[in-house]
Amino acid sequence: MSEEVKALESMIGEEYKYGFTTDVEYEDFPIGINEDIIRELSSRKNEPEWMLEFRLKSYHAWKEMEEPTWFNATYKKPDYENMLYYSAPKKKPQLDSMDDVDPNIRETYEKLGIPLEEQKMLAGVAVDAVFDSVSVFTSFKEKLAEAGVIFCSISEAVQDYPELIKKYMGSVVPARDNYFAALNSAVFSDGSFCYIPKNTKCPMELSTYFRINNMNSGQFERTLIIAEEGSQVSYLEGCTAPMYDENQLHAAVVELIAEKDADIKYSTIQNWYSGDEEGKGGIYNFVTKRGICKGENSKISWTQLETGSAVTLKYPSVILKGDNSIGEFYSVAVTTKKQQADTGTKMIHLGKNTRSTIISKGISAGRSQNSYRGEVKIGKKATGSKNYSVCDSMLIGQECGAHTFPYISSENASSSVEHEATTSRVGEEQIFYLMQRGISEQDAISMIINGFVKEVLKELPLEFAVEANKLLDVKLEGSVG
Amino acid sequence: MSEVAVRDTMLSYISGSIESESQTVAIRAINERGRDVLHNTSFPTRKHEEWRFTDLSLISKNTFTSVEEADVKDFGDISSYYLPEALESRLVFVNGQFNAELSSLEGIPGNVTVGNLSEYGDHNAVKEYLGTITNYDDDVFAPFNDATFMDGTFIYVPEETVVEAPIHVLNIFTDAEKAFYATPRLLFVGEMFSKSTIIEEHIGLSNNLYLNVPVTEFKLFTGAHVHHARIQRDSKQAAHISRPIAILDKNAEYHSYTICLGAKLFRNDPRVIQNAEEVDFTVDGLVLIDGEQIADTHSIMDHRFAHGNSHQLHKVVVNDKAHSIFNGKIFVAKDAQKIDSFQENRNLLISDDGKVNTKPQLEIFADDVRCSHGATIGQLQDEEVFYLQSRGLTEQKSRELLVYAFALESVESMEVESVEKMLLDEVIKYTNRDDK
Repeated sequence: MSEEVKALESMIGEEYKYGFTTDVEYEDFPIGINEDIIRELSSRKNEPEWMLEFRLKSYHAWKEMEEPTWFNATYKKPDYENMLYYSAPKKKPQLDSMDDVDPNIRETYEKLGIPLEEQKMLAGVAVDAVFDSVSVFTSFKEKLAEAGVIFCSISEAVQDYPELIKKYMGSVVPARDNYFAALNSAVFSDGSFCYIPKNTKCPMELSTYFRINNMNSGQFERTLIIAEEGSQVSYLEGCTAPMYDENQLHAAVVELIAEKDADIKYSTIQNWYSGDEEGKGGIYNFVTKRGICKGENSKISWTQLETGSAVTLKYPSVILKGDNSIGEFYSVAVTTKKQQADTGTKMIHLGKNTRSTIISKGISAGRSQNSYRGEVKIGKKATGSKNYSVCDSMLIGQECGAHTFPYISSENASSSVEHEATTSRVGEEQIFYLMQRGISEQDAISMIINGFVKEVLKELPLEFAVEANKLLDVKLEGSVG
Repeated sequence: MSEVAVRDTMLSYISGSIESESQTVAIRAINERGRDVLHNTSFPTRKHEEWRFTDLSLISKNTFTSVEEADVKDFGDISSYYLPEALESRLVFVNGQFNAELSSLEGIPGNVTVGNLSEYGDHNAVKEYLGTITNYDDDVFAPFNDATFMDGTFIYVPEETVVEAPIHVLNIFTDAEKAFYATPRLLFVGEMFSKSTIIEEHIGLSNNLYLNVPVTEFKLFTGAHVHHARIQRDSKQAAHISRPIAILDKNAEYHSYTICLGAKLFRNDPRVIQNAEEVDFTVDGLVLIDGEQIADTHSIMDHRFAHGNSHQLHKVVVNDKAHSIFNGKIFVAKDAQKIDSFQENRNLLISDDGKVNTKPQLEIFADDVRCSHGATIGQLQDEEVFYLQSRGLTEQKSRELLVYAFALESVESMEVESVEKMLLDEVIKYTNRDDK
């Protein structure tokens, strides 16, 4: 037993493979946060008056709020006064093709194995690559434009589609929603905007790669996806970040709006730098993700593979407002070393006959703490609604912890909620069985872990599924491959 | 907010002084400790995670006096509450005060001590354990009991002794002019390989408002075995906030079953601490509520050592505007390997105005364990109702029968026949209340 733990520990000890930085010059911007800085930020981005107002209002809301402490994690609070709230590659070229992109940036993507170039075209994926905070490249615009799909950076959308932004931004995650959302609303740098018109199936999977690359640059991404009646879209988000000593804050906001019969699938792979053996450095990932199933028969599905970050607080949620709407949450959270993850979901049932499914798998190893925190709420009017939740945890090693905090409530007599959770280790009998069939111990463990998370990984789009498996291997299996 | 600031501590809801002290030295020390904490701990609000869903206005909108000042009314014959199995092993407390006349202890074996705490204040076990097992955290109710209890039950079972007859601790609450508070107390010490059954009952004779805050402490030595049934049939206007706690040595077995039928506000925080290896315990509950009742259970199964089995089945039926809250915590400490812990919370919500909040919670710090929980909120299955209807039952009868069956599982855990029968009658009374 101790040998197998040792084997796992060595796998877990794998260094962060993507720890490198790219030399790109950054625009100067004053450090800190106050009204003037927000005005400056807004003016540099050429934003209209109403956008500035939104930022200032959010800033004042944030000022009044207190940093939350209810989660199961401890960390050194970010020094908000000492952060840089704006960073963009110095030259922001208007690009038509990949060749015009700064070669350094391109190299970065290649090291990360992001097939931004020809491969992407073959794969049929449009990429809105976010380097630090400003979008530098958007491809496949034409093809999307043909279908009527708008896919651009939020900054562009503020200029080009002010009506849509005004109508929807902050409608799902209001600025006052929570401390980090308020901060984001005040200083959001950039992000992706996506609008799928009525009865349109988005012709390709949309994806954005985020990358934090500037020392002390808190990234405040903002994503807004609107799926009109009868439309369908699948959105992919993947992240890696270079190795740094200073803690870096990432407080993103993602808002999804699904109108009648619309279907949004949002997938995430998160592998930011998680700090060293002692948990030093590493990203703080405090993200507010929420979708609303506004219309009847609409559907929102979140899938996430969380492997990175020093501290993760993340609860992708669905508000099931339309009758017969569906919310799904599939998650694998892996923590190693001294990582702390407090993640889960909220399913708020408001409409009749709404359904939600939660499948959450937590793997904790090393000296990490892994918590599932979820809320399933069935309102009085949400008659005939159903929820099914499973959250399983696996512990590897004797110094880690697994926690489950599901809040469940129901207020009507025709709905049902089922919740199960288990905590266990990799079973000795299972390992023995596989070894007895001639499989090495390491392979056996790898196989069992793959089986444990399979239910979730199969929900990922194909492009991501391969990457996901690779990531898990790197994270937990090392030489086992 | 201003109201909270003014009425801040538990004492804000108590009229008169709580400074009177017990004559018994062991009790007096605890009274003092409780008072100190009480003066410095604020009364919980919805902002406390442990009280997030619980409406405490029944307490905070009223004022409670001591029993002496409440103008307690006389009460009639209570012999219908006696258990035939425990006719000679019964302790009766009326409004928290020991009543020797109604008690009967002839059936207790000579080497076993059963009686009231103030009489046995010099007993070594009282001096050593009273007040040491209970846990405050930032609670106000356990300190309130500590501060105000003057007497209580004391049960001491020596080594390798089996008490055949169940020990019946009957807490009776009578009608009174004013709302009063009572703080029943129970200390149980079971020596090595002893075995006993405790039936702890709380009965409200009338339909008046009172605040019942019992604390029970169980200390089980190696191999001790206890079956602890707790039946709460307080007045439907009363508040019942209880703090039962048990601490187990090696190989000890503690099985507790809490049945909640009465009280307008019920809050129960059972806690079992595994203090050595290889223990086995149960923290079951059955809650049947209707009207505007609130029933809240916050249990803790605290595994501090390796090799333990624990089980929890908490069943709830909610009708009318009742509100059920459940938070079951399973803790497994860092080196507490080979723990097998299972928790199940099943809620039957049979009215549209009812409400259920549940939060099963696992906090595991050891890797070689098997811990699981399940929680469901649902209704009766249409197929099941239809099946019974197809056998000739009316729809109402079918539903009653299915609710009865749901509750049955918990009732059948009772080891004492008359208790089981009495509870079945209560279940029928609950399910068939709409019958003509």
